[in-house]
Amino acid sequence: NYISYNVLTMAMRQTPLTCSGHTRPVVDLAFSGITPYGYFLISACKDGKPMLRQGDTGDWIGTFLGHKGAVWGATLNTDATKAATAAADFTAKVWDAVSGDEVLTLAHKHIVKTVSFTQDSNCLLTGGNDKLLRIYDLSNPEAAPQEISGHTSAIKKALWCNNDKQILSAADDKTIRLWDRSSMEEVKTLKFDTSVSSMEYVTDGEILVITYGKSIAFYNALSLDLIKTVEAPATINSASLHPEKDFFVAGGEDFKLYKFDYGTKEELESYKGHFGPVHCVRFSPDGELYASGSEDGTLRLWQTAVGKTYGLWKCVLPGNSLWALLSSSCRSQYCNLKHAV
Amino acid sequence: MLLAGETLNMATPVSVLRLPKGPDPNSRGFDPKSPRFIALCRTSIPTSAASEADPEQLQQEQHARSVLRESFLRCLLSMNSKKVQFHMHEKVKLEATFGASDIDVLNFQVSDLHTPIGVQKEALIRCQDVISFTFDV
Repeated sequence: NYISYNVLTMAMRQTPLTCSGHTRPVVDLAFSGITPYGYFLISACKDGKPMLRQGDTGDWIGTFLGHKGAVWGATLNTDATKAATAAADFTAKVWDAVSGDEVLTLAHKHIVKTVSFTQDSNCLLTGGNDKLLRIYDLSNPEAAPQEISGHTSAIKKALWCNNDKQILSAADDKTIRLWDRSSMEEVKTLKFDTSVSSMEYVTDGEILVITYGKSIAFYNALSLDLIKTVEAPATINSASLHPEKDFFVAGGEDFKLYKFDYGTKEELESYKGHFGPVHCVRFSPDGELYASGSEDGTLRLWQTAVGKTYGLWKCVLPGNSLWALLSSSCRSQYCNLKHAV
Repeated sequence: MLLAGETLNMATPVSVLRLPKGPDPNSRGFDPKSPRFIALCRTSIPTSAASEADPEQLQQEQHARSVLRESFLRCLLSMNSKKVQFHMHEKVKLEATFGASDIDVLNFQVSDLHTPIGVQKEALIRCQDVISFTFDV
């Protein structure tokens, strides 16, 4: 009910939840899927200590100790039983995300920037400053990984797509490349005038969300055809599309979080809160909140529907004077919405 | 009375029950008493991880593990204030006076650490860098 939603947001101001604990910039974050124990969030930080948190509250669960350098990338498998991290100590590590124990260390020849599990968690894709994509078979980690070369600069992000049959990679060479996993060949390349700052893959609908400069661009992940581009008021470092594809959020160099309508491309809201540039932003798997990581060393959780009871947020009726000014139809619509949530 | 065209800025901030819990300064977390841990953590005892655990074999294995663990803890206790030689990665050998270990055996606190680049009065040695250590009982 769009009108009721407007009444609610008119009455309520977004209260972000700040997750502290990191001592240096947070450069990457990822959510797990929804598990019987809720969903989880992992954050990569330049302090070398990635952290696992409960996704809907931001409560700290544990810190993965072992890396000897800045952690540039972090990911969880769908059921949050495994974590993987990419670090400046030239290793990628696989962790047991329940016990926090390190399970594997995968040595690389340079800084590792990105890690991604296949849906069955059996393979790990890595990429970094040595310009190579590597595929590790986690059931046979002693075996040499398969290597895919082609990028001419450091790889910043690599991920599986098309049911793990293909790979998408973004590098400082200003390209995004689509690779076929079985042939290890390049299928298609997208060229940009400037370096791509982030990439998100939305499985359901095969959409690729890319950010560069002040733009947020949406592509078909299979064909790499452009769907649409949206311009933001500031340089954007990361963006995320809501699971129901009605909104997307973006954050970047002006420290703010922006919320846009995906259909109309209209900017709906902007939120201040971080004290430094926003490096990463992602929607939770249920779309009820989004998390942002910043240069200021914090993660913040933001509500998609401001004022709704969810996680640590509690729906409370707005103050009397505002309530009195609303027409009776608005008030009854608000009450209906409150009962619905 | 609100006039037409006037903007009203009386938005109430959304209430929160509490703030997100932060890290525990004394531990790396992953609470073994949490429901998720209890349900999902693979036991590290190979015999009991097998689908048909032989109770006698399990008992023997558990006993052996207890003996080894106790012996290791007693070793750490007896090392207190003794000179210990550490064999580290990259063919590094260090000598130091052992102080204590932390609870997860992640770091050893030592004094008078003789390193290839000089003597460090007080230091922490990262256990994962240690291959072996020896000392006179």
